[in-house]
Amino acid sequence: MRTNVNLFLLWMFLLCPLAAFAQKTDIAVVVNPGNPVSSLTLPQLRKFLAGEKRSWPNGQAVRVFVRASGTRERITLLKLLGMSESEYKQYWTAQVFRGEAQAEPLTLPSNGMQKEAIVAIPGAIVLMDSRDVKPPAKVVRVDGHLPGESGYPIQ
Amino acid sequence: MRHVCPIVIAILVASASSLAQIAGSSEPETIRLLVQQVNELRGKVDALEAKQASQTSANPDLPAPDQPLEESASTTALPNELSHEVRGIQWRGFGEFNYKVLDQRTPELGTFGSLPGSAGNFYSGDFDLFLTSRISDKASVLSEIVFGQGAAQSFDVDLERVLLKYDYNDHLKMSFGRYHTGIGYYNTAFHSGKWLHTTADRPLIMEFASDGGLLPTQAIGVSVTGLIPSGKLGLNYLFEYGSSDTIRPDINGSGNLDDENNGNHVNLVVFAHPDAIPGLQVGASVYHDKISVFELGPSVRAGQTIVNGHVVYVGHGIEFLSEGFLVRHALENSSTRLNTPAFYTQFSKRIGHLRPFFRYQYINASQRSLFEDVGLRYGPSFGARYDFSDNVAFKVQLDHTVRQNQPDLNGLQTQLAFTF
Repeated sequence: MRTNVNLFLLWMFLLCPLAAFAQKTDIAVVVNPGNPVSSLTLPQLRKFLAGEKRSWPNGQAVRVFVRASGTRERITLLKLLGMSESEYKQYWTAQVFRGEAQAEPLTLPSNGMQKEAIVAIPGAIVLMDSRDVKPPAKVVRVDGHLPGESGYPIQ
Repeated sequence: MRHVCPIVIAILVASASSLAQIAGSSEPETIRLLVQQVNELRGKVDALEAKQASQTSANPDLPAPDQPLEESASTTALPNELSHEVRGIQWRGFGEFNYKVLDQRTPELGTFGSLPGSAGNFYSGDFDLFLTSRISDKASVLSEIVFGQGAAQSFDVDLERVLLKYDYNDHLKMSFGRYHTGIGYYNTAFHSGKWLHTTADRPLIMEFASDGGLLPTQAIGVSVTGLIPSGKLGLNYLFEYGSSDTIRPDINGSGNLDDENNGNHVNLVVFAHPDAIPGLQVGASVYHDKISVFELGPSVRAGQTIVNGHVVYVGHGIEFLSEGFLVRHALENSSTRLNTPAFYTQFSKRIGHLRPFFRYQYINASQRSLFEDVGLRYGPSFGARYDFSDNVAFKVQLDHTVRQNQPDLNGLQTQLAFTF
């Protein structure tokens, strides 16, 4: 009996690391530190990411940066927009063709570049794993919640 | 993830020492399985550590785990691409390669290389060059040049669009030049590049006038658009004032051209993108100008009013387009009013690379109007689009059109559409 208990405890011990790996953190919406916007609704965020809203309230042009295909941030982006990867590409081709956008949002290959873009480009907005966000990047509330808070809608 | 790795290693080491203590237990098989799992986990940790190390070395821009971002940003230059400024001319091309078979010996149009008397033809359709250039943060130039195929493999060049655009903000965006009129949804959503279209052709009511379409699809003038502050309703407006000069060939193959000799037009569009249903667009437009109706006399003029209502949903792999039109011609100095109602509905659903579609269209043009060649016609189209890649699509489409006082028309279209 004692052996069984030990084995059970050991099994639980071994599961802990797997659970830690599997745990998903929230995806933060990050903007340039100088951006006066501190809160967005989910529909507003969708419109920024889809290029339907192209300027911030202060008149600054919106610059969307996205991660490469297959990353968690990209998957979240596609989920928010309700598109597949190919539909996303087709959507932006159409937006450019309609004159609604100058180009598809720039794809950045690393989180490090995203962090630099968000600091260097005044109108920048990115989706980023909340664990990777560091000052002075500014995290925006979505539907009134910050990442990690109960009710935060983007994971 | 970086903080998890040392914890995992510590736990694995502790687990391994525990295993050594119970190695002499009476359940050797269970222990063997546990050891095997520990080894698997250790392997995973090693792989993660190696991946993390390679990412750090491959991306010198990536800050070290505890390195403050400010330090990294100040010491590393941003790549040029990050400026997101495109000063040069960007261009994109669209092309198509078609084969169309009709079951009537006299095709409806002499365009696209479909010669009268032939029942099937290859044709290249439109070859479309699209160019844009940003002049400043708010100003840009857009142009679309189409090399279109006519009869007997002749080609003509059409400057479909050339616009100087100035986007003051989301509420005020202006364009000056030649544009596709905003009558309805289709004309401004799809333009000329067939690769963008789900179907192999445009609905007849939304066909370009130069290809037999009924509406003034192109004009030169001023176009102003933007968001209307309306909260969750997401209202947008579009106002156009310009000159159309529509010359449309009769689609019955007679070879006649109808020159509408349009006056200046006014077009007002309001549409909503409600927050509650992302991907939904509901809108309406009213267009008005004055045209000549040469069929009724050399100097007969008429007021042309085109009313449109549309509901569109694009999202989650679904495309639903539905538009209704009423084209009304009011003859000057007469109480005669000629109405042409029309609609089309199109539905498609993406299944992997395949997108089956269905479209139904209806037009009922008065025999006394300038659309006497169109008359009453209606019928379904169905087929599928297959995307070989992000740039190349193949479409197959079957059409059945019921025509007033004429035999039904059945057609098969295949199209290879591409962008580059």
